[in-house]
Amino acid sequence: MARFAGGIHPAGCKQYSRGCAIGRMPPVREVWVPLSQHIGAPALPAVQAGERVLRGQLIGRAAEGLSANVFSPVAGTVQGIVTHISPAGKKKEHIHILNDFSDEHVALAPLCDRTRESVLGRIAEAGIVGMGGAGFPTAAKLNVRGRADILLVNAAECEPYITCDDRLLCEHAEQVLRGARLACIACGASRLLIGVEKNKPEAIAALAPLCAAGEEVKPLRTRYPQGAEKQLIYGCTGRVVPEGKLPADVGVLVVNVHTAYAIWAAVEQNEPCYERVMTISGGAVDRPANLWVKNGTRLREIAEFCGGHEECGRIVCGGPMMGEAVFSLKICTAKTTSALLFLSEKEADAQESSVCIGCGKCVQACPMGLSPVFIEEALLAKKYGEAKRFGAASCIGCGCCTYVCPAGRRLAQSVTLAKKIIRERGV
Amino acid sequence: MAEISAYNVSASPHVKGRSTTRRLMADVLIALAPCLVAGVLFYGLWSLLLVVLCMAACFACEQLCNLVRRKPFTFDLSALVTGLILGLNLPPRAPWYIPLIGGAFAIVLVKMLFGGLGKNFANPAGAARVFLLLAYSGVMTNWIGADVAGNMLAVDVSSSATYLGGGTAVFAPVFLGVRGYWGWVLQLLFGYTGGSIGETCALAVLAGFVYLTVRRVIDWRIPLSYLLSAAVMTLICYGDASEILLQLLSGGMLFGSVFMATDYATSPKWKYNRILYGVGLGVFTMLIRAFGSYPEGTSLAILIMNLLVPLLDKFILPVRFGQCTKRGRQKPQAMKWAMRALCLAMALALAVAAPVLAVLHPRADEYTPAYVRSFRQTEEGYRFDVAGTADIGGYKQPLGYIVTIGAEESRVVRAIVPVQQSTMGYVAELALFLNKNEREIRGLQDLSADVNTSATITNKALREMILECYTLLALNTAPYEYAPRYVKAREADGAVYTFSVEGAAYLALFDYTQPLAYTVILDMEEGKVQTIEPVTQSTKGYVAELSLFIGKTHAQVLNLSDLSTDSNTSATATNTVLREMVLECFYEAEYAEAGNG
Repeated sequence: MARFAGGIHPAGCKQYSRGCAIGRMPPVREVWVPLSQHIGAPALPAVQAGERVLRGQLIGRAAEGLSANVFSPVAGTVQGIVTHISPAGKKKEHIHILNDFSDEHVALAPLCDRTRESVLGRIAEAGIVGMGGAGFPTAAKLNVRGRADILLVNAAECEPYITCDDRLLCEHAEQVLRGARLACIACGASRLLIGVEKNKPEAIAALAPLCAAGEEVKPLRTRYPQGAEKQLIYGCTGRVVPEGKLPADVGVLVVNVHTAYAIWAAVEQNEPCYERVMTISGGAVDRPANLWVKNGTRLREIAEFCGGHEECGRIVCGGPMMGEAVFSLKICTAKTTSALLFLSEKEADAQESSVCIGCGKCVQACPMGLSPVFIEEALLAKKYGEAKRFGAASCIGCGCCTYVCPAGRRLAQSVTLAKKIIRERGV
Repeated sequence: MAEISAYNVSASPHVKGRSTTRRLMADVLIALAPCLVAGVLFYGLWSLLLVVLCMAACFACEQLCNLVRRKPFTFDLSALVTGLILGLNLPPRAPWYIPLIGGAFAIVLVKMLFGGLGKNFANPAGAARVFLLLAYSGVMTNWIGADVAGNMLAVDVSSSATYLGGGTAVFAPVFLGVRGYWGWVLQLLFGYTGGSIGETCALAVLAGFVYLTVRRVIDWRIPLSYLLSAAVMTLICYGDASEILLQLLSGGMLFGSVFMATDYATSPKWKYNRILYGVGLGVFTMLIRAFGSYPEGTSLAILIMNLLVPLLDKFILPVRFGQCTKRGRQKPQAMKWAMRALCLAMALALAVAAPVLAVLHPRADEYTPAYVRSFRQTEEGYRFDVAGTADIGGYKQPLGYIVTIGAEESRVVRAIVPVQQSTMGYVAELALFLNKNEREIRGLQDLSADVNTSATITNKALREMILECYTLLALNTAPYEYAPRYVKAREADGAVYTFSVEGAAYLALFDYTQPLAYTVILDMEEGKVQTIEPVTQSTKGYVAELSLFIGKTHAQVLNLSDLSTDSNTSATATNTVLREMVLECFYEAEYAEAGNG
């Protein structure tokens, strides 16, 4: 098993929600479904204000180029196409639907065959995107015309607290595996690997007996960021994705566990993608849970259902290492929202930044082999060429450098900024 | 949107490891505690005062700088760490102003003027030590023990100066019942030797190393690569395997490698650069020790390598994950494999060469002489002061000689001067041995100079003594330069020699160093101590018992076994020092009598 260099071993904190079977969030009265739940162009509204929609009905049609369909998670009446704040703090278009609690449902047309084209078409049709957090439209990713020989399911779930993928594997291993097989058909891969960190023995035990020939569960070292794409590929296959290249260039495609599950649902159950399992966890939550949550649900309603305390150290949408801090509970969930964390004062990082003592811990921790300390120094001196030389452009944003910094410097933020400037100015 | 302001927000990540600057510094302070405790136990409360003064000076200077620069006061403990490290680097008997000057130099000139914590160009404590060494050479090399005839710690420590000081440690000590080389190693491990307050006790330093490594405060690569390369360099420079342990355990190398070379701001950031840095430290330290004019090279080597660190950091970068060459191939991890190969090669070289050399050149100090009391190089050759007994039918006849072996290639016995022998005529036939070399003396078949068997016994004893001189000569390829330790002035009036001697006795009971000065008058016609007059001695009554020495011959003084004139140990300590002084006077006088003016 290849071990990537660097990385950290943060406290897992998965005990809060690991044992919680996946439940279901009770229906909510209103949803604001974002039209942009993916990388690429926002979907175009396919409904109008006042129109009645059913659960599973198309409400946002994929735009030209890279985009994805959006479906209604509830049956009800469209109140309008409104602007609403996104997790990043920008005003984005959402479709506001008032739930009538009838839960009337429409499914996709059954798929008669399982050819590459038909499966790819169904994945695109069902609006499936990378549900690990990136939100890359899956159909576009899988459409590599035989360049990939390995399909890798990312079940590492290396972020602390999050357990939704773990629970999904424990409870629906069969479905995830079948979804992954369908993804193999779509991309033409001959081998199927499932990378799981060793701290999820239940998931490994559930998957292993189901594997057929050419399929394998890869137990991985428990180390953050084991689930970062390049590190995962290296850990499972020993292949190194060159800088500036895609995993497909080394013959590997990576899909998330939940994406595989969504593919299964779309192909075999004719269900488009409009809900997902979320982990609600953290020290400031009364009832940690793993829940099916419909896209467009406001965080406030989840917080109320699970007993999350707003007056806590930090509310985070996604994992604690790479997720975004929540500034308002009005934000709505999307296909990519894997977790909602209420970190207590003790858990959340509140250290004051002090001067760099030059310990070099960030250099040892960086899984990409960058030198965050010198990148920050170069950034502050506005020497962007120097920052690039120290590797700023290759940052994956995992946050290991900030995590280990004894001086509490926000190195990941500096490197991200340097990367952005380098990209924008073409240094 | 009142709720917005109610939340804490920040860029990711939102959780953090527990390490903080202050925690790291506190860990270093904890790791230094064993060294401090050992230092204070060995050298007394004055050394504790020095360390405390140094820490206080560092802390005060840092806050003063903050005040001048109108910056907030800093309480990150880093000044205390600098102060503690520098304090432990001072000689145990340094005057009170040394830690103040050193602390101010370290903090103001090395640290704060360059921007404070994390910006210093060199390790502050290391740079300050080098500065003090240059500015106060005498004070900074006045290791305790140099004036104390081995009774400093009430253990059997026969070497009193530091090993690197090239002092008097000709013969291996006996320590914890272990004789010879391993006794010496044990002595260094426990720190029963001269040196800076904190650096002598290797076990305490190792405890600190283990603690810091387990707590992940320092990178173990720096000390280990440092010591590894120093070991290999010892083999290259000295060609002697047994020298390795002595070099690694002596002086400040161990302490410096753990606490000074690993200073964050002045050591490289990438782990493989750290190995290169450690190797460089080892190379420079041993080059300075072996070929430089300073016996100790650690802080100087650290200073040199500190200055090279920015270069390493800037030009040897980690290979990024997936980094490609211009041809689009994966970039090789050249530095990583080079450093691994280097370490492996050094370890292999050590593993192969050390045992081979150990067999080829057995350690000189494995040998504890039975007769030779002292050994020095003179213009005409090597002069040995030997003493022993001849068992003449149950009567143990004390014998003492000065044997001179020529320095030239042939190494023949040039002169034998009897110091003590039988007054009844059973004396050795010196002519048997004169102008013969070792092989000839070893091969002497007939020692019966006459019918008198007692003279034959004496001859045999003398032959053993001379052969031991040759053994010692062979083992000590580099004899120590002789310089009188106590004798400051000498006047000769015919055969009556008047010496002014100066020294000091360490009175362990009071942790006080008592300066001593005497005038010793020897009558070489009779070969006896004519009189001794105290010039400087204790005013509290802990004075030497002069009658112990007056009227005694060289051999009698040599063989004085009981120096405890009364129950007062302090007087005994003074007696012990006085005996060394008298012996030195005898050597000087005999040397002059032999025609060396």
